[in-house]
Amino acid sequence: MVDVSQHNLVPEHSVLDEAEVDEVLAEYDIDRTDLPKIKRADPALPDEAEVGNVIEIIRDSRTTDQAVVYRLVVE
Amino acid sequence: MTEITDDIEAVVEDTNLPKRLKDQVYSTVDERDGVTVEQADQIAKAVENRYLDTRVDPLDPVGTVSAQSIGEPGTQMTMNTFHYAGVAEIDVTQGLPRLIELVDARKTPDTPMMTVFLEDEYADDRERAHEVVWGIEATKILALGDISTNVADMRVQISLNEDTLQERWPRVDSTDEIAGEIAGIIEDSLGVTTVQDGTSVEFGPEEPSYRDLLQLVEELRDITFKGIEEVSRVVIRKEELDSGEEFVLYTEGSAFGDVLSIEGVDASRTTCNNIHEIYRNLGVEAAREAIINETMDTLEEQGLDDVNVRHLMLVSDIMTNEGTIESIGRHGISGSKDSVLARAAFEVTVNHLLDAAIHGEVDDLNGVTENVIVGKPIKLGTGDVDLKMGSFSRQSGQAD
Repeated sequence: MVDVSQHNLVPEHSVLDEAEVDEVLAEYDIDRTDLPKIKRADPALPDEAEVGNVIEIIRDSRTTDQAVVYRLVVE
Repeated sequence: MTEITDDIEAVVEDTNLPKRLKDQVYSTVDERDGVTVEQADQIAKAVENRYLDTRVDPLDPVGTVSAQSIGEPGTQMTMNTFHYAGVAEIDVTQGLPRLIELVDARKTPDTPMMTVFLEDEYADDRERAHEVVWGIEATKILALGDISTNVADMRVQISLNEDTLQERWPRVDSTDEIAGEIAGIIEDSLGVTTVQDGTSVEFGPEEPSYRDLLQLVEELRDITFKGIEEVSRVVIRKEELDSGEEFVLYTEGSAFGDVLSIEGVDASRTTCNNIHEIYRNLGVEAAREAIINETMDTLEEQGLDDVNVRHLMLVSDIMTNEGTIESIGRHGISGSKDSVLARAAFEVTVNHLLDAAIHGEVDDLNGVTENVIVGKPIKLGTGDVDLKMGSFSRQSGQAD
């Protein structure tokens, strides 16, 4: 099986622990469900990710150095 | 030449600039002669001010600006050109049709293609690169030999070309063995019994029937003996890259998932122009990147490269926001808006109003379109800000 995370188009995905999630939500003053979504079946998702987890994605941005974005795992 | 001292670094690092701009400040200072720390500080401050000035203000309608910024250059794009315009004599849809295809998120593009990069050992050896080509390109019977139909005996006779067999199956030594493999594939897919003699294979319908015989020949032509069904042609090209020369394959037709697992294919750089295949195999984040790349390439190819990539990033963000690829337009983003009036204002007005009436929908008037329709201020820019006039007492100068 091909290791998807090795592909140039795929940025780094990691599961965010709950304390960090609260920090992020507080910083942007939003609810969990306001975050962009990612499907549970997404091939780039780490194996341990479950529905309801928030995934931290670190992209190599075109406009700044690195961009950190978050996605909520949904069914 | 001015050396970047710790002091200069300190004043630059002190600003609120992103890394890329800081680097640019460093290189500019580095190029000039005799820049003092104070001057460096002023430069950094000036750049910072300009940077803060050019940032998008809160409540700016970025979507509208993006729509205009992509739409206007779109008027200058070619309506219809797709003739060997791409790399390596492969037909690719370009210009407006391609852009529409991307934002509509079509399931399959008009001209699917893949760019296949090879792993080190394969990339600089033409022979080995060809091995990969034969693994990808669909090999049909006509490429392997001649078919003749013997109507008298009701038999189909295939005489395979030994050189071609050897070329396309470089790992197998005897051509008889390859012919046996081919006979096996024919038996499996047509449900007939074959007779193999050296490199010639013969078979016929169970019951003598002229129609069945022709039917078999017809089906025989469609069987893929090697490679990937969807890929009709592969072009091999030597490319100059930063790291030196290497062979790169361009394919007509795409099967991204299958290609990634073929031996010799570099699964970290290979891409295709079908965003849905990228989504299925690499996930939503890769799809987002692919949409940005493809739209930007389409614009650049038309000489419209001064469209800021941020507009395309915004489009791509919206399209992948729900974790899947959604199209812009009636069936996608615009059709899933909360507001009835906003949807009705876009397309098929009567249907939306009728459906909304049947389901008793309520419009909360939160968006832009619906507020324009009812004549209320929109919640954008100054429209979202409430100003209240306070009164000042003469003595304290404090607001009451």
